[in-house]
Amino acid sequence: MSSRRPVRKGATRAPVRKPVAGTPTWVMPAAVVAGLAVLIAAFFVIRWYTTPLPPKAPSADTTAQVISIITNLPSSEFDTVGQGTANNLIKPISGSTLTGATGKPEVMYIGAEFCPFCAAQRWPLIIALSRFGTFSGLLTTTSSSSIEDPNTITFTFRSATYTSQYIDFHAVETSDRDQNPLQTPSASDQQLWSRYDSDGTIPFLDFANHYSSTGAYYGPGVISGMSWLALADTLRQADSSQSKAIIGSANLITAAICKVNADQPGSVCSGATIQNLEKNLK
Amino acid sequence: MERLRLVAVVAGLAGVVVSAYLTVLHFQGVVPGCPTTGPINCDAVLSSRYAVLGGTSVPTSALGIVWFGVGAALWIAGWRRAIYAWTGAGLAFVIVLLFTEIVLLGAICLWCTAAHVLVLVQVLIAVTIWERERR
Repeated sequence: MSSRRPVRKGATRAPVRKPVAGTPTWVMPAAVVAGLAVLIAAFFVIRWYTTPLPPKAPSADTTAQVISIITNLPSSEFDTVGQGTANNLIKPISGSTLTGATGKPEVMYIGAEFCPFCAAQRWPLIIALSRFGTFSGLLTTTSSSSIEDPNTITFTFRSATYTSQYIDFHAVETSDRDQNPLQTPSASDQQLWSRYDSDGTIPFLDFANHYSSTGAYYGPGVISGMSWLALADTLRQADSSQSKAIIGSANLITAAICKVNADQPGSVCSGATIQNLEKNLK
Repeated sequence: MERLRLVAVVAGLAGVVVSAYLTVLHFQGVVPGCPTTGPINCDAVLSSRYAVLGGTSVPTSALGIVWFGVGAALWIAGWRRAIYAWTGAGLAFVIVLLFTEIVLLGAICLWCTAAHVLVLVQVLIAVTIWERERR
């Protein structure tokens, strides 16, 4: 049996729908453009609705409280956590010792406020550096709302100053959280950054040209959705996942600083935890 | 060759150039000349995981070379049905890429937009020719 449909003699083909007489030829192309414009507008609306809002910035008092907590953690907690869950991204590099404005070995940081990994890395960096000196002018901020790990809570170094009798600290925040240019690395900063981090990955840390690292030692997801104060409180509990990541990272940074600073001060560097981590730095 | 087809061929060849430029820069690890801050951000788009074909190191722009190259050949040959199907597929892919840029990444790449416009030019020419044929 044939599958062909019988064709009646004299039957005509199904009528093809013709354009309405007099419709200009530009109407169809214009309809395509209009349809595309509507789609693009819809995409922007979806983006707008799905972009999370940054958390409300804490008050000055709360900020001071948070900074006080994280810069005065008991040394027993550092010993309990050890490396925790932090990834050791610190690599040895060769170069003449980098010294800062006061002639001491310099820790250089290059990052950006929009960057969630920089946001994550600033917590252990502040904690570690506070064992060697004192910060002032730290301000709270969050990473960009519009890229992965949005609104990661953190601080910015844009107007911070650091004083220490052991080391110098130099920070460059290249962009704000909206990715607008903020601070420009000096020619010498740029030279070191290019030399030890040819891809330009941030956050970049240079420990006096003896060690460097690129990237965060833990994922921003570890602190996702937390407030500054809640995270600071959590860091007082050595068994929390946040402590294992952040205190562990701070210990790695501390070990690198101790290594480039002849293990000074002894109260920070001579403990078994830091000494063991120093052995892993080679 | 009628004028519209000539414009479509030129758009196709321009698309090959743009896609080849982005592909070469991808393999060199260089960001094209384009703002890298704010919502117009080639770096954010071209260094994202969507800038390569899933699970490979082949940049999406390499697909652009193929699409524009084949498209230009079809316009020169004048194969109408193939042109309609090819430009339709191109438009669909551009819509997917726009969704990726705007919704998933929140960033627009100007070089990618140039390629999208060249696809759109060919789509509009195809629609115009199809419209004329129906009359």
